Amino acid sequence: MSRADQIAPTGPGRLYRGQTAVDFYGRRRFGLVGAIVIVVVTIGSLFTQGLNLGLEFEGGQAWDVPAGQDFDVDAAEQVLADNGVDPSTAQIQRRESASRSVISIQIEVVDEATAESITQGFAAASSAEADELNFEFTSSSWGADITRSAVRALVIFLVIVAIFISIRFEWRMAIAALAAMAHDVLFAVGAYTLLQFEVTPATVIAFLTILGYSLYDTIVVFDRVQENEGKYASVRMPYPDIVNISMNQVLMRSINTSISSLLPVASLLLIGSGILGAVALREFAVALLVGMMSGIYSSIFVASPLLASLRANVGRVSRREPLSGDALRAAVMGTGVSGRMLLDDTSDGSGDDDVAARRISEPDQVHQPAERILSHPPRPRKKKKR
Amino acid sequence: MKRRLWLSLIATTLIVIAAFVGNLAASNTPKLGLDLQGGASVILEPAEDASGEDLTIVRDLIRDELERTGIAEPNVRVQGETIVVELPGVRDQQEALDAVDVSGIVELRPVVPFSRCQDDPLLGGDGSLQPPTTLGVEVPEPASELVPVDELGDEPGADQPADGQVPDDTEGMRRSRTVTTDEPVTTVAGDTASDETVIDDTPVDEIAPDFSATEFPNGNALLPTRDGQPLCVGPVQGTGEVFERQSAVVDNSLGFSVIVGLSEGEGEATWNELASQCFNGAPTCPRQDQSGNGQLAIVLDGEIQSAPQVNAPSFRDTVSITGRFSQDEAEGLANILNRGAFPVEMIAQDSETISPAAGQESLRASIIAGLIGVAIVLTFLVAYYRWIALVILGGMTIWAGTVFSVAAFVSGATNYSLSLAGVTGIIVAVGVTVDSYVVFFERMKDEIRNGRTLKNAAPRSFKMTWRTIWSADLVSVIGAAILFWLSVGSVRGFALFLGITTLCDLFICFFFTRPAVLLLARSKFMAGKRAFGLEVAQ
Repeated sequence: MSRADQIAPTGPGRLYRGQTAVDFYGRRRFGLVGAIVIVVVTIGSLFTQGLNLGLEFEGGQAWDVPAGQDFDVDAAEQVLADNGVDPSTAQIQRRESASRSVISIQIEVVDEATAESITQGFAAASSAEADELNFEFTSSSWGADITRSAVRALVIFLVIVAIFISIRFEWRMAIAALAAMAHDVLFAVGAYTLLQFEVTPATVIAFLTILGYSLYDTIVVFDRVQENEGKYASVRMPYPDIVNISMNQVLMRSINTSISSLLPVASLLLIGSGILGAVALREFAVALLVGMMSGIYSSIFVASPLLASLRANVGRVSRREPLSGDALRAAVMGTGVSGRMLLDDTSDGSGDDDVAARRISEPDQVHQPAERILSHPPRPRKKKKR
Repeated sequence: MKRRLWLSLIATTLIVIAAFVGNLAASNTPKLGLDLQGGASVILEPAEDASGEDLTIVRDLIRDELERTGIAEPNVRVQGETIVVELPGVRDQQEALDAVDVSGIVELRPVVPFSRCQDDPLLGGDGSLQPPTTLGVEVPEPASELVPVDELGDEPGADQPADGQVPDDTEGMRRSRTVTTDEPVTTVAGDTASDETVIDDTPVDEIAPDFSATEFPNGNALLPTRDGQPLCVGPVQGTGEVFERQSAVVDNSLGFSVIVGLSEGEGEATWNELASQCFNGAPTCPRQDQSGNGQLAIVLDGEIQSAPQVNAPSFRDTVSITGRFSQDEAEGLANILNRGAFPVEMIAQDSETISPAAGQESLRASIIAGLIGVAIVLTFLVAYYRWIALVILGGMTIWAGTVFSVAAFVSGATNYSLSLAGVTGIIVAVGVTVDSYVVFFERMKDEIRNGRTLKNAAPRSFKMTWRTIWSADLVSVIGAAILFWLSVGSVRGFALFLGITTLCDLFICFFFTRPAVLLLARSKFMAGKRAFGLEVAQ
């Protein structure tokens, strides 16, 4: 085995060892353009097609069909399917009291002919008279004031999160994090409006989950940026470089986390709704999968470049070329440790930033032994005590 | 140091296992939501014809009321001419009927002299009810005063109750008006502060406490106050609809008072018409004595909740009811005003049990799929992190046990139940929890790659990781707290479970993962092994 600080020869090896040198900031246009496309497509689709709201939001039609030997939930689903109504969008419940036992079926509003045909279908299947079936319209159970209170709570939450990030980090990070979050939620909403999935209360929960996940992921990434910012404070490293270094350092973490977050959701989609046939899970899992992938993507490709752009023109304009290639790699590896980064003894306090910067750009430092990258050498191990 | 780590590790493990086993032994599992477990349903029918709009208002009121009394995530909808209320997890049909017994309507009736309640009773008069003739001038309580805030200073002070001052914060509100009651209830005897407004020298009449509420054919009624004292009130002049829904709040800046908003347009007009009658002492709402103004009784289900004296002829936007309320009394009045907007009376019909809509197979499928997914994730992490992944296996097990115990406890204590969305939310939380380990271990990998020993790298990495994790988790906790506090229904349930899983993550990270990794890094077991597939400095 080679030394731990040697550069791995292959791409995956470098990735595993945290030795990548990808210029994320230089490629920021891909991320930002992609984000803008998503936002435009989603908003366009929202205006043209809108969302396919479920019966919890829009209300619908309901039948109370007497339950009997030959009429149960499965039979009701069969009747709906025969009339072209997807049973997974219906709510079918058995209601029982001392005096009666009925199957209650709620579906979204369909045209009169279909409704009549469904009524006949139920009547035939349950051998009851059609006018005993108690056909009625139902209202939404998710009323406007639930939406109102949720929106109010959400707005207050976002304001407080913005304040929190501004205090804990800085206000530009708050803007970038919230922008990335909006991007992710719009991405998931976009999937719903483009594919015309039915929006249920569970979908709203999925959107909220995505929102929380996106903020979480972005903050983990920004924490590293802030940490590196402190390390380079004495060198006045350009902000885009700091962001680049940080993104490379958290790349492996982001990949691992995305694998471990997405696998259970993918399993929900493939095994839960695919193999085990729980259709109720399908659209929910799609929303989560899309939103979480977008959340991981946006932390690195939307939030961070945006942050770098916001910060790029703040403070002294650097004369230096942006770090790239091996120089970037050296910086990525060099600050991967806790403690302050030491560039060279001579640059400390001398204020000569460019000297320091030049030093770090020198390729021979890439293969620096570990002891020189550390702020101080590891304490020699004591002899065994016993 | 080492002992403290062992202590933390062992104590956490034991506590979590004990809580988990205890919950299992008491078969104390998290409650499941309507979609997974079913529940009970009650159908409410309006007592008289009601418009669809009225029913929608009632639907929202009932849901608010159910949530306030601790029934979480009910499903309330208008179906045809009825309202269907579905309660998760309720098995007992009587319990369901009791729970939805929330429909009272609030009426506003002017207080009139007792002499007007002496006609032949329409109903209920069983002879025991003999309003004493002397009651014609007797007002049990000082009337409340309705005074606009900005005019309060100009009022003649003689009849001003000492405690009838305008709360400070209403002064900032433009055109806020004040109603003052000096007593929430009429206690005739022993009342010292209010005797200025009671007619002098009127003998205090004790009325038999067992009189019954009586309606008279002329529209007047003899109704009990909350103390059981009767008060004669005129015909119903308005209902609780004049108040804006959910607007009543308790103000405790100067004693306890209740501030309630008036609904715009019709509500305000109705209230002001009534207020001007009482303020001017019109025959429909006469002054009870020379100095006071007319009183307006707030009646809920035939019981007078409060009878404030009206101190201004007209109000805008808000009304403030002040008096010597205790906190409980003020909150009770606020709740009554808040729920008072039932436009029609609802009568509960039969209660039924309902089966789950999504069904057990959805729950089973999501649990199986979730477990398979988590198993794949853990396999991946073990393959990736090798020996140190033992900590992940232990930590995730402990985390799952903690989440189960806390969810069982919370759903038992608060009625919040786990819906299908909640179950999948927990599966998503697995990803966030695993992330704590990934952040930690990736950081350790960096340190080791740069030449630190495992023993040295672990505490340094944890320090940086902890900073990252609490920052990120705190955002989730803030979000959960705000959504739980301010929203309703299933959003609230989601917030609860988001908060639980996140707090459990923080707890396990500090009290289990940290000692476990630190101890493992120092152990002889790891010595000589290649952590993370990297050569570790010795």
